[in-house]
Amino acid sequence: MLLNFDSLGSWRWVLTIIVVMVAAFLLLPIVFIAALSFGSSQWLIFPPPGWTTKWYHDLFADPSWLKAAWTSLRIAVAVSFLSVLIGLVASFGLVRGSFPGRAFLRGLFITPMILPVVVLAVAIYAFFLRIGLNGTVAGFVIAHLVVALPFSILALTTALEEFDRSIEDAAVLCGASPFEAKLRITLPSISHGLFAAAIFSFLTSWDEVVLAIFMASPTLQTLPVKIWSTLRQDLTPVIAAASTLLICLTIILMLIAAAVKKGLKK
Amino acid sequence: MALLTLSRSSVGLPGRNLLLTLPALLLVVFFFLLPVAILLSRSVTEPTLGLHNYVELLGSPTYLKIFYNTFLVSSLVTIISLLIGFPVAWALAIMPRGLSSVVFAILLLSMWTNLLARTYAWMVLLQRTGVINKTLMGLGIIDQPLQLVNNLVGVTIGMTYIMVPFIVIPLHGVIRKIDPAILQAAALCGASRWQALRMVLIPLARPGIFSGALMVFVMSLGYFVTPALLGGTANMMLAELIAQFVQSLLNWGMGGAAALVLLSVTMALYILQVRLFGAKG
Repeated sequence: MLLNFDSLGSWRWVLTIIVVMVAAFLLLPIVFIAALSFGSSQWLIFPPPGWTTKWYHDLFADPSWLKAAWTSLRIAVAVSFLSVLIGLVASFGLVRGSFPGRAFLRGLFITPMILPVVVLAVAIYAFFLRIGLNGTVAGFVIAHLVVALPFSILALTTALEEFDRSIEDAAVLCGASPFEAKLRITLPSISHGLFAAAIFSFLTSWDEVVLAIFMASPTLQTLPVKIWSTLRQDLTPVIAAASTLLICLTIILMLIAAAVKKGLKK
Repeated sequence: MALLTLSRSSVGLPGRNLLLTLPALLLVVFFFLLPVAILLSRSVTEPTLGLHNYVELLGSPTYLKIFYNTFLVSSLVTIISLLIGFPVAWALAIMPRGLSSVVFAILLLSMWTNLLARTYAWMVLLQRTGVINKTLMGLGIIDQPLQLVNNLVGVTIGMTYIMVPFIVIPLHGVIRKIDPAILQAAALCGASRWQALRMVLIPLARPGIFSGALMVFVMSLGYFVTPALLGGTANMMLAELIAQFVQSLLNWGMGGAAALVLLSVTMALYILQVRLFGAKG
């Protein structure tokens, strides 16, 4: 009754209305930002009195925005690569090994995801003050790696556990070296896990703001830090333009993820 | 089989798998455990050895107000997210596929959109001359603009927006696994829709409701960005207090003490979650 949409009677409409309203609530800010980024009002009046691309010109005319985006991109790519690499190696150890303390280690590797990020940010900031890593690309990569690695380990241990190991053994029996078997049989079979690990790690770093606020220096800041410090001064429509571009990037990544998922099903 | 066992054991030493976790372990120990341990230890060593920082933190009305704010906002966000999230999760589990995948895409889009972009949108929407106030005034519901930002109302709205997907997605999975025949049985036994909802569907979905609520509550307790931007300086929450101790006041002792309080509550609730619902919750 309650779990059959067609026999819900009048409740069907109540539920549908709630879903439509919540969907509108979730979409509202995103659509609104995109519309305002083309609005001509400096004070973000809505509906805008006219339409303009001025804010996008302003955005691209200011080299500090491009520089921040480039810094973010470099850091996120490095984090993504290292997170998948370290995560893959560790996942092999965790899934295939039988040493004592395996469950404990697994829990330990996930902990940075549960911990409030502000605690980690303050702790790492203090630690980096001592060893001089604040305001360096290496510092950003290390700090983001700490929060990205749990996603890799979760995605890759799950993928490795689902993979039937006897296929790898069969390759070894057929004459492949253990390393070759892993490279040519196991890795392609867990490619969805690798992909998920890479994309989550990338996004974790690309969108990360709390760690970055503490570590940023006047000469080295990521895109979220640039948005944050601009936001603290005023609500300029330039941020709407930057946000709209970020939303477009999100949609592109979602479409890629959906396409990859579809490709895997075939 | 004998050959296989042979090849597996001849690959390396028994500790090889442990060795594979070494890079991850080094990272976690040196850049996670060690910095956090140093920070927490400073709460009892700075400025002098002892528990002064904790006495000050838990004894002053200013700080107690911040604990109260944090608890209040987190509770409100959790309750409102549940009230909004439950019907949506329920509908998603039973709606026609095409429709539910559209709603799912919207959920994911909102979740994946940059946090600052979303918060910025709410700052603009909720300001005095913003769309929400203008619409309400246009409809004649209010005649003075409401104060919706720089207070806890703004923080609650902005954070609820962020947390709803975290309720809907896991809860939808729980509800989808419930056998529809159980609800049919309830109907056959004469239960009205309300009775079936209250006495069958909600109790069966309870693990999903509790674990989702606990997760949202824990995340809200330590949230930094949205409260800092939508709440203004007069309505601080715990995460901002920690940041302020460290960044503006350079008071590492108090910062460490506040961090320990936040950390203990988070960890206690997380352990409760694992105990109640298993590690997957």
